[in-house]
Amino acid sequence: MIKLTNVSKTYGKSQVKAVDNLSLEIKDGEIFGFLGPNGAGKSTTIKMITGILSPNEGVIEVDGINLADNPTLAKSYIGFVPDNHETYETLKGMEYLNFIGVMYGVEANLLKQRITEYAEMFQLTDALPNMIASYSHGMKQKLMVIAALIHEPKVWILDEPLTGLDPQSAYQLKQLMRKHADNGNTVFFSSHVIDVVEKVCDRIGIINHGKLVAVDTLDNIRADESVSLESLFLTITADGTPVGE
Amino acid sequence: MKKYLSLVKLLFIQQYRVKPQQGKRKKGGTIAAYIILGVCFLPLLVGLFSSMYFLGSFSKGAENVENIATMLIFLCQGVVLMFGIQTLITNVFSTKDADKLLFLPMRSATVFSAKLTVVYLNEVITTAVMIIATLLPFGIGLSAGPAYFILLILALVLIPMLPMFVGSIVAIPLSALISKVGKNGAVKTFLQILLFAIIMVIYLFAMYELGFIGASDDATDIDNAQMLLEKLSSMGRYAKYIHSDFTLASAMLGVTFGTVAVNLLITLAENALLFGLVLLMALPFYHKMLTLSVEGGSSGRKRKKSGTADLQVKKRGVLKELIITDIKRVVRESQMGFQCILSLIILPLMLGLFAFAFSMSKVDGGNILDLFRTEPLYQVIAPVAFLAYMSLLGMTSNVLGIFPISRENKSIYIIKSLPLDFNKYLLAKVILSTSAMVLSDTVTCILAVVLLGIEWYYGILMLVTMALLCFGAMCITTLIDLKNPKLGWTNFNQSLKNASNSWLAMLVGAICMGAIAVIAAACIVGYVFTSGGWYMLMIMWILIIGLSVGFAAVCYKIMTGRARKHFENIEP
Repeated sequence: MIKLTNVSKTYGKSQVKAVDNLSLEIKDGEIFGFLGPNGAGKSTTIKMITGILSPNEGVIEVDGINLADNPTLAKSYIGFVPDNHETYETLKGMEYLNFIGVMYGVEANLLKQRITEYAEMFQLTDALPNMIASYSHGMKQKLMVIAALIHEPKVWILDEPLTGLDPQSAYQLKQLMRKHADNGNTVFFSSHVIDVVEKVCDRIGIINHGKLVAVDTLDNIRADESVSLESLFLTITADGTPVGE
Repeated sequence: MKKYLSLVKLLFIQQYRVKPQQGKRKKGGTIAAYIILGVCFLPLLVGLFSSMYFLGSFSKGAENVENIATMLIFLCQGVVLMFGIQTLITNVFSTKDADKLLFLPMRSATVFSAKLTVVYLNEVITTAVMIIATLLPFGIGLSAGPAYFILLILALVLIPMLPMFVGSIVAIPLSALISKVGKNGAVKTFLQILLFAIIMVIYLFAMYELGFIGASDDATDIDNAQMLLEKLSSMGRYAKYIHSDFTLASAMLGVTFGTVAVNLLITLAENALLFGLVLLMALPFYHKMLTLSVEGGSSGRKRKKSGTADLQVKKRGVLKELIITDIKRVVRESQMGFQCILSLIILPLMLGLFAFAFSMSKVDGGNILDLFRTEPLYQVIAPVAFLAYMSLLGMTSNVLGIFPISRENKSIYIIKSLPLDFNKYLLAKVILSTSAMVLSDTVTCILAVVLLGIEWYYGILMLVTMALLCFGAMCITTLIDLKNPKLGWTNFNQSLKNASNSWLAMLVGAICMGAIAVIAAACIVGYVFTSGGWYMLMIMWILIIGLSVGFAAVCYKIMTGRARKHFENIEP
């Protein structure tokens, strides 16, 4: 479960709020799609949930744990796939996964078992003994996905996860997201690919200029079934009228 | 030319414009720290200034005063070489931004020239400091004419050229070799350090030949003014071989317009010729080097095939894993590894140089080192003197400890998102930098015992003190870097060059050095007054070690108490 209550964020001395009074609750067993145009505040929201950025106002809870009060425990419930691929380039893939496993306190045998399973699923086994610097964009993305899953997180957060993935891997990832949510966990992901959001998500939220302008199930958001999510998205982000719950 | 200037501007801005971190900055403390640092180093600068002034006044009657001026120019160039060669290797020859430059419609010679210019502009700052400390007081002491002082401005522009060009001439073929041979980051780092060592040895050999090292033939006659004058005249007897420096010195000291103009023209022509030679050498190599640096990252490496059996999982604690991962990242990233490892070998290298210089200086059939050793106070003063020196230079130069957060660069978000006890993360950083420094200190202490004849037990006491002081200092430098890390660099040198962290680390080193000096001076005076009372020495070492323990504990407490707030303010 992820719960955001009146969360706001301003960068530096800027007067503009990157995220403005955002309140949102994502329940267990749910895949939540987070949409918004460039610079709307998606990545800032995700960075705040993962503890990378601190909000100026508001409370963030992960599985009932206040992130500000107990960041280490709250973070241990999260698996995070970032949108950039800035990682420890001079480590080998296996070394990186080992590092992440130790940081999350995964027992060695279990860690090996999960790495083997996910590496085979994403066809990355052969690349793991090589330096990350030698990986392609898609391979780095796969590595990030594996790193986020090796501790079986209760909350899985993905920022633009499908960018750079080949069709097979994209399919595998979507299946994994569904499976993860069906096991009672929370999946929160942002994407620009509206088709994917439409097919995969149980609920969606649309953010524009830092404010949540729509949040509900897709069916509830669009009153008329013949309207596509794409045209709905364009309309909502153009006029900013709040829609949904 | 337009492309060249645009690229110079871009590279220069990129070097100095780093995204500031959030939060209000309290400037007062930083300014106060700089003032204290200035006060600490004022006696040193005044000492250098006055000695150069006296060198100038003694040289008034000397025959070949140009030789002495040439040597001073060469000395300035040595400092430029020492600091500049690291920048040259990392910025020009071990570049990380090749993929951003290769697709642009410009020749690789333009890229090379622009990068060399940026390094050169950085070194003009170093040259300015050196000129103020050496050539300016020398000229005042010499009562040189106005041409000398006017030409100092031109010297500011000309002095950094020779080290840059000669450094490039040596570095081009070797770097081309390194980029071909050293696909492995660790091997590349080792080869770059070797390259630095070669260039420095060449420079020191040249200094020795000029007579700056081991110049004195019979120092007991040094009080004789005539002897001194003769020595000054003979110093730099090979100075004419560094021809562009010699002609620059001749131009500065020239009495007629013709002498000034001709020598100046020769200097300019020779530097232009050297630049031409550098460009000529760079043309066939540089494009290839840029290309190889890109290939090294992706397709250039052979991919190993592995079965699942090869996926070895290591059982380690969090602290150990953090340290090991950090070591791997530093050593395998050639730019970072070069800077970090080089900063650790400087300390023993300088001590070795001291020993070499002392043993080469002849006195009464022996050398200065032998003379020192026979002094009854040598074993009392030398260990604390070297301890003070080690604390200043060691803490100032330890890149691992001064930039522990900045070197995370854009991947700092990984640490911020992990469920990691923040103090453990900082402790891992401090342990790594302290351990590396202790390794360097161990070699330095062994050299002090073996080469300088310091008693072995003093060597151990020096090492223990250094380990404690270093732990405390690294806590403070880590906190300083945490407060305002330079993230988002494309070249690690960007975060190092002219960074306030280095100056503040120097201040920490200077405070440690000052504390040691005060305790030692008081106890040594007591030792002399008690006619060699051994208990005074015991008190001195107990005080020094006790103070070091307190320093380490207080610094650790300060770091853990203040770090969280700064860490949360970092916005990747």
